[in-house]
Amino acid sequence: MLVLFALLLSVFLVLPKQSRSLLQHLGQPLAQIVAFPLGALAALDRNLREAWGGYVALRHVYDENRRLRREIEFLRGQNGELREVATAGQRLAALLEFKEGTESETIAAQVIGRDATSWYRALVLNKGKRDGIRPEMGVMTLAGVVGRVVKANSSTAVVLLITDPNNAVTGFIQRTRDEGIVEGTARGLARMKYIPLLSAVRVGDSVVTSGLTGGFPKGLVIGSVRSIEKVEGDLFQSAEITPEVDVSKLEEVLIISTARPFDERTADAGSLLPTPPKQRER
Amino acid sequence: MKQALYAGLLLGLVPIQTTVLHYASIGGIRPDLCLIAACLAGFVAGEREGMMLGFALGFIQDLFSAGELWLNLVTKGLIGFLAGLVGRFLANATPVAMLATLLGLSVVSGTVFLMAVRMGEGLADLFFVTRSILLPQALFDAAVGTGAYWLIARRGRTDHATQERPGPLW
Repeated sequence: MLVLFALLLSVFLVLPKQSRSLLQHLGQPLAQIVAFPLGALAALDRNLREAWGGYVALRHVYDENRRLRREIEFLRGQNGELREVATAGQRLAALLEFKEGTESETIAAQVIGRDATSWYRALVLNKGKRDGIRPEMGVMTLAGVVGRVVKANSSTAVVLLITDPNNAVTGFIQRTRDEGIVEGTARGLARMKYIPLLSAVRVGDSVVTSGLTGGFPKGLVIGSVRSIEKVEGDLFQSAEITPEVDVSKLEEVLIISTARPFDERTADAGSLLPTPPKQRER
Repeated sequence: MKQALYAGLLLGLVPIQTTVLHYASIGGIRPDLCLIAACLAGFVAGEREGMMLGFALGFIQDLFSAGELWLNLVTKGLIGFLAGLVGRFLANATPVAMLATLLGLSVVSGTVFLMAVRMGEGLADLFFVTRSILLPQALFDAAVGTGAYWLIARRGRTDHATQERPGPLW
């Protein structure tokens, strides 16, 4: 058995490309089967969260209005539920508006899970190869960059977040136009490396994608500079960045299937949201 | 019965791990159910079953994780195998022995991941990752796994007493 184990390990190490493609080939049907219970559990998780939210809302209403009659309590509860639906609707409408306004083609997807281990900061999405998702595609929200697709199964995809140390995106500081590479850190933030020593980068500066690496259009917000680190003797300086997107609360994302640069005028003006279609017609 | 249990583990464990286990997370760390299952299978049913279940669970875990497609496959297979060896040479398999085994094997698994995934980071970051992921993960895995083992062992003893026949715990 040890021989089998050693043989397997040596195949993975000696022939990484071939073994990866073989495993990918073998894994596709398996991933499709596992996607069923995964989808069911994700739906259960969503319902649980909604039920919990509803319970808290009902308790709140009960505390505020406990002298009111039963019918009014019922109506208030219903009102709370409708408000929740309206909030979800508004969120989705904003996402749709953004999707229509952007020059890049995007695919909307729901977050159904987190990475299967604790070692990566990654999300599992409910869209996969059959929806046109491919590895290396960029993932964003209204607020900015989320990460990039690293694995695409037939009906699910895994997105490595911008805060993961294994992720790297080229970006530039919007005010000074200095370029660098943005990587995740062990502490769940991001760090921009290779900023020129003479750069006048300041705390609070906005960092956006440069569009040089595949997956992201130019001008998409990554985050803002939190602190700057200059080490004597180093050729470059680096900056710690607070990502614009709160990755712990993501529910829906957009996957960039064709990255095209945003309108430079909007990017230079500081607003990185693309021009809405109506404004563009004027 | 055993086949149904293994099929259930293969189909259900990774979906639970990715979707609803965050409710049981402490400081962002969730127990690694696949590692615990491979370890228990090895400990109770022998190194071959532990390794095979570890391979299968690790492979499925790799499909829903951002890492290389073989990393969990190899690690979980190794953990199942080692747990089987420990189980075979241990004269008295108690929950305390299980706790120590799980703690050690989870540290082994974490070290493999640390070397494969985070080797490029500085010493301070490696120390931070060890303190914030590797050790809490090992403690969490050991606690959950020992609890599961205690339940299995208790059930095994009950079955043994009622049916008056020796046999595997599942």
